[in-house]
Amino acid sequence: MGKYNKINTIISHEYISKVKTKGFLIGTVLGPLGLVALLGIIVYISMSFGETSKKLAVVDNEGSIYTQLIKKDSTLYYKSEKSVDALKKELQEEKIDGYVIIPEDILDKGKASVFTGGGGGLGLISSLEDNLTSIVRVKRLERIGTDSSVIDLIRQQVTIETNKITETGETEKDDTKAMAYLGYGLGFAMYFLVFIYGSFVSRGVIEEKSNRIIEVLASSAKPFEIMMGKVIGIGLVGLTQIIFWLLLGFALLTLLGPLIFGNPESIKTMTEMAEAQGGGMASQSQGLSIPGVDLTLILGFLFYFILGYFTYATFFAGVGAAVDNEQDAAQLQLPITLPIILAIMITPQIMNNPDSTLAIVMSIIPLTSPLIMIVRIAATNVPIIEIVASIVALVGFFFFAVWVSAKIYRIGILMTGKKPKFSDLLKWIKSA
Amino acid sequence: MQNQSNVPVIVVENVKKQFGDYLANNDISLKVNSGTIFGLLGPNGAGKTTLIRMINNIYIPDGGTITIFGKPVSDDTQNQVAYLPEERGLYKKQKVLDQLIYFAQLKGVEKSVAKKRAEQWLIRFDAASWAGKKIQDLSKGMAQKVQFISTLLHDPKLLILDEPFSGFDPINAELLKEVILELKSQGKTIILSTHVMHQVEQMCDDMCLINKGKAILQGNVREIKKSFGRNTILLEFEGDASFIVDNQQFKIVNQTAHRLELKIIDSNFDSKLFLNELNQKLTVFKFELVEPSFHEIFIQSVKGNEVEVG
Repeated sequence: MGKYNKINTIISHEYISKVKTKGFLIGTVLGPLGLVALLGIIVYISMSFGETSKKLAVVDNEGSIYTQLIKKDSTLYYKSEKSVDALKKELQEEKIDGYVIIPEDILDKGKASVFTGGGGGLGLISSLEDNLTSIVRVKRLERIGTDSSVIDLIRQQVTIETNKITETGETEKDDTKAMAYLGYGLGFAMYFLVFIYGSFVSRGVIEEKSNRIIEVLASSAKPFEIMMGKVIGIGLVGLTQIIFWLLLGFALLTLLGPLIFGNPESIKTMTEMAEAQGGGMASQSQGLSIPGVDLTLILGFLFYFILGYFTYATFFAGVGAAVDNEQDAAQLQLPITLPIILAIMITPQIMNNPDSTLAIVMSIIPLTSPLIMIVRIAATNVPIIEIVASIVALVGFFFFAVWVSAKIYRIGILMTGKKPKFSDLLKWIKSA
Repeated sequence: MQNQSNVPVIVVENVKKQFGDYLANNDISLKVNSGTIFGLLGPNGAGKTTLIRMINNIYIPDGGTITIFGKPVSDDTQNQVAYLPEERGLYKKQKVLDQLIYFAQLKGVEKSVAKKRAEQWLIRFDAASWAGKKIQDLSKGMAQKVQFISTLLHDPKLLILDEPFSGFDPINAELLKEVILELKSQGKTIILSTHVMHQVEQMCDDMCLINKGKAILQGNVREIKKSFGRNTILLEFEGDASFIVDNQQFKIVNQTAHRLELKIIDSNFDSKLFLNELNQKLTVFKFELVEPSFHEIFIQSVKGNEVEVG
């Protein structure tokens, strides 16, 4: 009969009624697929940034270069039989993007010309330069009769294996690149989860308010219990989903590991490495191989999700109580949603430079810290002091959120009619 | 029933509640006796809902005290009170039985007990087949029944019903009335807030009329009617009515060949006995005891109060 029972009743009602819905089932199944698809698109876009969608006609006066060039990048180059004048005219009429003239004496002088309608980007020039340089280099070697085995040796590229020295002085393989991408993925997941579950809370509060259910609830329990019961119940739904995903991910990783991750190249690399090391899960920095996802990262994610969710959801509950519909809620939520939107926007920079001052500051400031810190934990070795500072700040801010929201909720929940302004909310917060 | 009436279930003393500059309740005092139906009346915006919310511990009074069963209003008294708000609210996407159980649990009832009671009441309201349906699939009247049932499952000693009949067709309204009277006969106390005055006359024992945050008229419903001093009999008949003359019980105020208007002076006047006498001597077409209707009492009191205040 006590207070404890009532909040428990509310928590379990929120939890069960959410988990029972079809939406939850669909979200649980499709969520990871959606995230993987989204990340795939982002990675694809960021990787193909250096490439160009332009096409260059190749006029090869030397005669043997163009086949090699087209072999290097058939999307960029194509052979043209037209005269230079005709190409010039087509370029003027913007029918083609540009053309490359390879002179007869390219092997001697090492010079070629490209004509475009202006610009074309640095990426275009540098890939043309790289491509021609390597072709000409091989041709020159062939011309002086170099053995093909020597040419193969020269062709081979150097790959960089990144290592890090741990605190205990051991050298470990550093999965910087893969971990950075993983951090990005986790950051995105954090962003979506906090937002989705936060908006479940505000939607639920608005439903209870606009359907006048709140009057019955308020005659049975304290506003604080009703508010926190909802926040906790929905939070547990989120945790259930995440833990399910983690277990699913772990199961898939164990069973199908190499097949799901990355491209054929990394699978090959891993297979080779596995053979060389006599089996076991090998991680290597080339490409996007499977990083050794450690427990710290998983626990960190769960921990920051809980803190981040509770802070945002509590604010959302307060704001939801102040308004009658979701549009008005979105407006009043802006001051608290802006920081996390900012955080997701600068995540690529954090990923590239996880130890910058910006990264450190944003991983300590509450509201941005859940997202930025998880990116940093994945991408770099975050000093304990920074983690402690960020947790202390976030926990403190959470209590502030509870305090503010409880006051707004208590008054707002039974207010109908005109939409309150920020000044009204401040008045409610100040009232005893 | 009457012998319980002197035990107050609710005592409201000098209660004040202010929202910003708006004084919703200004020094209200009233008593609700055990086992009675108490009419809480007043024009829109008079402060009824504010008072009801304070009794339900939703609002806390700025001044004065409210006690329920002798204890100050608190989280503990909430479990003994049932509240049917004027604006009904149920979760549209949840099933009837699930919601009923939830609301009962919030009032401290065990889940299994709540389920059993909910099923019984659904049968009583001829609604057992809806148990697994969602509220959004029910008609308004059906949802109203569900909402009413939700107030009963914790077996409350005190029920506060705000416009309980709105949204019901005459047949279901009759069923609801029957249930309310049944609850009363079980010794429950009921506060009925309504704008439908004939319900007050039919159902309520006591009443309180609130206007502009103040109680302007309260007491026993019968006595209030009598206090308005318009107790009159309208009589239409065939035959010789010369035996009817002024006496200690009534006076003839108007007389034609087949029509008489009598004003009752004696409060112990037995109209049944009088009608029996009339029936023996005359052919009575119409015998009507005209008291001021509550409709009139309501309007007169509120207008009179307005004049006083204004």
